[in-house]
Amino acid sequence: MRIGIPRALLYYYYYPMWKTFFEELGAEVVLSSPSTKGILAQGLKYAVDEVCLPVKMSFGHVLDLAGKVDYVFLPRMVSVEHRKYICPKFLGLPDMIRCLDGVPPLIDVNVNLYRKDRDLYTAVKKAGSYLTANQIKIWVAYRRSVAALQKYNRLLQLGLIPEEALAVLEDRVKNEPLPYPSDLNVAVIGHPYNIYDPYISMNLVGRLRDMGATVFTSEQVPEKIVSKYAERLPKRLFWTLGQRMIGAAFHYLDRVDISGMVHVAAFGCGPDSMTGDMIERQAHALQAPFLSLTLDEHTGEAGILTRIEAFLDMVRWRQAEASGL
Amino acid sequence: MKGYLGIDVGSVSTNLVFLNEGGIIKEAIYLRTQGQPIITVQKGLKELAGRLPSGTQVRGVGTTGSGRHLAGIIVGADAVKNEITAHAVASLVLVPGVQTILEIGGQDSKIIILRNGIVTDFAMNTVCAAGTGSFLDQQASRLNIPIERFGEIALEAESPVRIAGRCAVFAESDMIHKQQMGCSLPDILAGLCEALVRNYLNNVGKGKELLSPVVFQGGVAANVGMIKAFEKELGLPVQVPAYFDVMGAVGVALLAREAVVKNGMSYFKGLSVAESKFKTGSFECSGCPNMCEVVEVAEDDMVLARWGDRCGKWCNQVNKEEKVS
Repeated sequence: MRIGIPRALLYYYYYPMWKTFFEELGAEVVLSSPSTKGILAQGLKYAVDEVCLPVKMSFGHVLDLAGKVDYVFLPRMVSVEHRKYICPKFLGLPDMIRCLDGVPPLIDVNVNLYRKDRDLYTAVKKAGSYLTANQIKIWVAYRRSVAALQKYNRLLQLGLIPEEALAVLEDRVKNEPLPYPSDLNVAVIGHPYNIYDPYISMNLVGRLRDMGATVFTSEQVPEKIVSKYAERLPKRLFWTLGQRMIGAAFHYLDRVDISGMVHVAAFGCGPDSMTGDMIERQAHALQAPFLSLTLDEHTGEAGILTRIEAFLDMVRWRQAEASGL
Repeated sequence: MKGYLGIDVGSVSTNLVFLNEGGIIKEAIYLRTQGQPIITVQKGLKELAGRLPSGTQVRGVGTTGSGRHLAGIIVGADAVKNEITAHAVASLVLVPGVQTILEIGGQDSKIIILRNGIVTDFAMNTVCAAGTGSFLDQQASRLNIPIERFGEIALEAESPVRIAGRCAVFAESDMIHKQQMGCSLPDILAGLCEALVRNYLNNVGKGKELLSPVVFQGGVAANVGMIKAFEKELGLPVQVPAYFDVMGAVGVALLAREAVVKNGMSYFKGLSVAESKFKTGSFECSGCPNMCEVVEVAEDDMVLARWGDRCGKWCNQVNKEEKVS
C-alpha cells in the first residue's frame, strides 16, 4: 500500500516518525514534491480564502499526491501536549481537504494529547489498523517511530535544518554537516512550516547563510529551556507552537552570542500576530536588533532581500561599534 | 575634477549624484523612472556627462534602490547597497547627530532610528503600500492637480477632514465621500496628509522612540503638507535636507568611495555606457513547476546577467567564473 505524506505543516516536526511507522508496517511512503509555484497555485485555487499561506500550501501538497497514492496521511492535529493546542486551522484541515474532488482517501486519525499523553496511542492504533490487525506489530512500529523522532530532534538541536537532518537520517549524506562559515549569529523565529519551506520563506535561511550569518531557530532549543523562558509571560500560552517561539525567542534574546533576531510571520496568521508582537516588545526592551518579515503570496523577492541585507548591515555596524572598531 | 557617482533606481524616480573627492555634492539629477530603468539610467548618465566639466574622472560608482542590481550591472558598480543603509549613510553625513529618519518613497516607506551615529533599528512597510508616494501621486491625478502643487494647496486648509488612512483603497472611497459632501479641496488634501502620517506612524513607526533631530527625506518630503502633518503629529520640528530627494544616491556614492579606496580599483565602465545598447528580456523557464520568470540583460548580444530563477540554473551560467574556486 502506498501512503502519501504532504510536505507541509507539521511534516517539519513529525515526518521521520510517520515515515518509520508506516514503513515498519510494510507500506510505501510517498512524499509530495517540494513546494513550487505550481503547488501553491493549486492550493490557492482550492483553499478557502480565510486560511493562512502555509495551510493553502498544504492543500496544494495533498493535491500533488492525488493519483500517486492509496491514502493520504493527514492526522487531525488537535493537541500534541498536555493542556496546549495546535492552531484551530489544523483541526479543520482534514474536513476542508475531504471536500475537494480527486483527493485520495484520508487517514485522519485524531491526535489529541490535551488530557493525557496516553491518548496518542489510540490514534496510533487506528492509523496502524489500515495496514495490519496485529497489535504487536503496531506496538513495535510505534516504538521504532518514536526512536526515529528522537534521533531527528537531536539532529535539529545540533543546529541542522529539517532538510539536512532528514538527509542524515536517510543516509543520503554520510556525515553531519559542519556549521557554515560566518561572522555573526542570527535567530530566526517563526512557524517551522514557514521558515523551513524555501518556497514560502523565499529561502530565508539559505540567504542568511550566504550573507555570512549562522542561523539559530526555535527547534534548536530544548523543551526544558523553552518552558522555562515562556514562564516569563504573565499567563500561560495555550498554543504549542506559539509557546515554542516565545520561549526560544526570549532565550535567544538573553544570549550574548546571538546578534539579532528575525521574526517571520505569515500574513493572516492569528497566533503570529500576538506572539510576534510580544517578542518584538521584549526585543525592544532589551534593545536587540529585530526584524519582522511578513510573508504572503507575493513572489517578488526584492522586498525580502532589501530587508535582510539592511538588517545584517545594521547588526554588523552595531557589532563593530560595540567592539570599538 | 575627480569624484564618485551614486545612482538610486527606485520605483518612481531614478536619481544620480556626483560627489567630488571631498564628498561635496557637485551634481544631482532627479528623473522619473517610468518603468524603464535602463533607459533612464542612460539618460541620466548622458545628462551628467554634459553637466560635468570635461576631463572629469569618475573614480567609482555605487547603485541602490529596488533596481540596484540591474543598474549595477549596466554601469559596473563598486558598491551595490540596499536603500536603508544608503539613506542612513547619507543622513549621517549631511545632518550630523540625526536620530530619526522618516523616508517615504514611491512604493515603500521606512523609518530608521540612529543613536550615536549608528543605525540601531529600522522598519519598512509590510505587505501594505498605503501611505507611500505612489498613492499621493494617484490621488493627485484623480483630483486633477499636479503633484508639485499638492503640498501648497494642503497648507491652505482651514480644518482638515478626517480620512481613514488604514488602507489606500478605503482612503480613496472616504475621500470621494468627503468630496461629495462638499468639503473643500485643501481640507481634503490636508486630511489625506494627516491620514498618511497616522498610518505611517502606526504601521512603520510602531513602538519606536522618535527623538529629535528628525529628518524627512525621499520624494514625498517635497510635499509641504506632509511636513506640516508630521510636525503636528510628532510635536517635533522636522528637517528636510537640501538633497532630500536624492539621499539614497548620495549615500551609495559615499559607500562607493569607501569601496574604491578599499579595493584600490573600480569596476566602472565609464560614462560611455550611456551609448551602449542594452537589451533585456524575460522568459519562463519550463524546467519545473516553479515556472520562474528569468530576466536576461545583454549588452551588444553578450549576456551580462540573468536572475529570477530560484534554483540557480540560469544565473549560475553567467556567474560561472566567479563560482569556480
